[in-house]
Amino acid sequence: MRSRLLIGLLVLVFGLPFGLLLLLALAQGWHFPRALPPAYSLAALRTLGAADGELLAGLGRSLLLAGTVALLATAGGFGVARAVARSRWSRQWEAASYLPYALPPVLLATLVQPFIIRLHLSGSLGGVLLGLLLVALPFATLLLRSFWSVQAREYEQLARTLGCSVGQAFGRVLLPLAWPLLRTTLFQTFLLAWFDFGLTNVLSVGKVRTLTVQVFSYVGEANTALAAVASLLLVLPPALLLGLNRAALWRRPW
Amino acid sequence: MTLNIRRFFPGALLGGYGLLVLGLPLAGLGYALLGSLGMAGPLAAGFTLRYWLALGANAGLLYSALFSSWVALVSVGVSLALALSLVLRAQPTLRRWPLPGLLYVPLLLPALVLAFCLFQLLSGAGWLARLSYGLGWIDSPADFPELVQDGAGLGIILAQVLLTFPFLTLLLQAIYQESRLDELRQLSSTLGASAGQFRWRVAVPLLLRRAAPTLLLSFIATLGAYDVPLLLGRPHPQMLAVFVATRQQFDLRELPMGYLAGFLVALGLLALIGVLIKLTRRHAL
Repeated sequence: MRSRLLIGLLVLVFGLPFGLLLLLALAQGWHFPRALPPAYSLAALRTLGAADGELLAGLGRSLLLAGTVALLATAGGFGVARAVARSRWSRQWEAASYLPYALPPVLLATLVQPFIIRLHLSGSLGGVLLGLLLVALPFATLLLRSFWSVQAREYEQLARTLGCSVGQAFGRVLLPLAWPLLRTTLFQTFLLAWFDFGLTNVLSVGKVRTLTVQVFSYVGEANTALAAVASLLLVLPPALLLGLNRAALWRRPW
Repeated sequence: MTLNIRRFFPGALLGGYGLLVLGLPLAGLGYALLGSLGMAGPLAAGFTLRYWLALGANAGLLYSALFSSWVALVSVGVSLALALSLVLRAQPTLRRWPLPGLLYVPLLLPALVLAFCLFQLLSGAGWLARLSYGLGWIDSPADFPELVQDGAGLGIILAQVLLTFPFLTLLLQAIYQESRLDELRQLSSTLGASAGQFRWRVAVPLLLRRAAPTLLLSFIATLGAYDVPLLLGRPHPQMLAVFVATRQQFDLRELPMGYLAGFLVALGLLALIGVLIKLTRRHAL
């Protein structure tokens, strides 16, 4: 009985935001004091298909940015983690990798902004990409550091002893071994970039309108229907990832 | 002299990595320090301690730090209490469908979206206020208690708890299983310990010790939260990240103060992360 009550309560608490978002996206003329919308409409959802659809462009921009960050951070993190593992100053490099966590993304953005401006990257996709990599690359490095153990080195040496070239040992031995961790890192870094609002908003000075920036902007304009549609779009990829791999959503490098 | 490519490549990779991960933020920190001393930035007019001295007269940053600490302490404390009570008192339910899957659901929500939902739910004209009106409990939105954009940061705390406690529950449950606490429970019961003694003298210290780095990191993350307080917070007092960002974004005259605030906040958080690294190493030993 107590168990059912607990599950019921959690379903209610966790389900409420999704139900509310759906209602807000479909509601028409829903004002205080009505508890439920007087009418429903697909007008807000139809903006997705509009020719000048800002929402669809935002979705594309967010997918492009998060996908690029995930690929670059995972590939780069894999290489950097190997170099860190084999460095004489391995512990110091690991400690340095925590630096971006010490600073909230928005604070990090305000600190590096003068240099982003000097590089003529302010307000551009490239500037936001660089800022996001500043957080995602050390995250991926710390997450992938555990792979480069003595065991991985021994596997590599064994493959070389048995006649594999450097490329073959990497592509046929190390990569398949590391794949589960690489997949988790890809998911995590994608979500890191996908969920980001503060860093993107500061470095892009509002010009790179990703979905999170659009949600904030629609909320500011009191356009709740479009804010709800953009929010639902934001929830979609993580929901797909949850279906694919639950553990990938919460694993952390510490 | 031949270049050893095998040694050069990892060295160059680490050099580039260091430049990005250490060089850029530290250069930013240095720039912020120079900016607060009037030696860098668009308003630079030579060395001055004006902005540092003004810090004594302007309590904005101090209020902001205290408010952020309050929100972070309460949010992480409540999240930890909820997670501990679930892990220690609802073990069978936690292992049975649908609870393990259910706890992943809040991880799907970006902080900004959750803040938007809570605003729609808890504001004066929000859904709960409408239900209260329907039940005859209130006559107008003004009668509904201030749950968002309030002085105590209740809305922010609620959002942070909703974001943090499922994650902490998953973490503590993983530690519970890895540490074979069920077996330890049976052993302590055989040795005559009560359920309460097992919980408080065995399980809680073990779980807290192993989760300490993540707890501190959750505290730091909440301390520097931006998205949630931007929607659910007030213009005064502001949380630290909002305080710094607004001073650097909107008013050029406030820029040096923004640099100073950014520098001090970053320094404080770096000290906290130093503690985190020590904790992680001690745990690894």
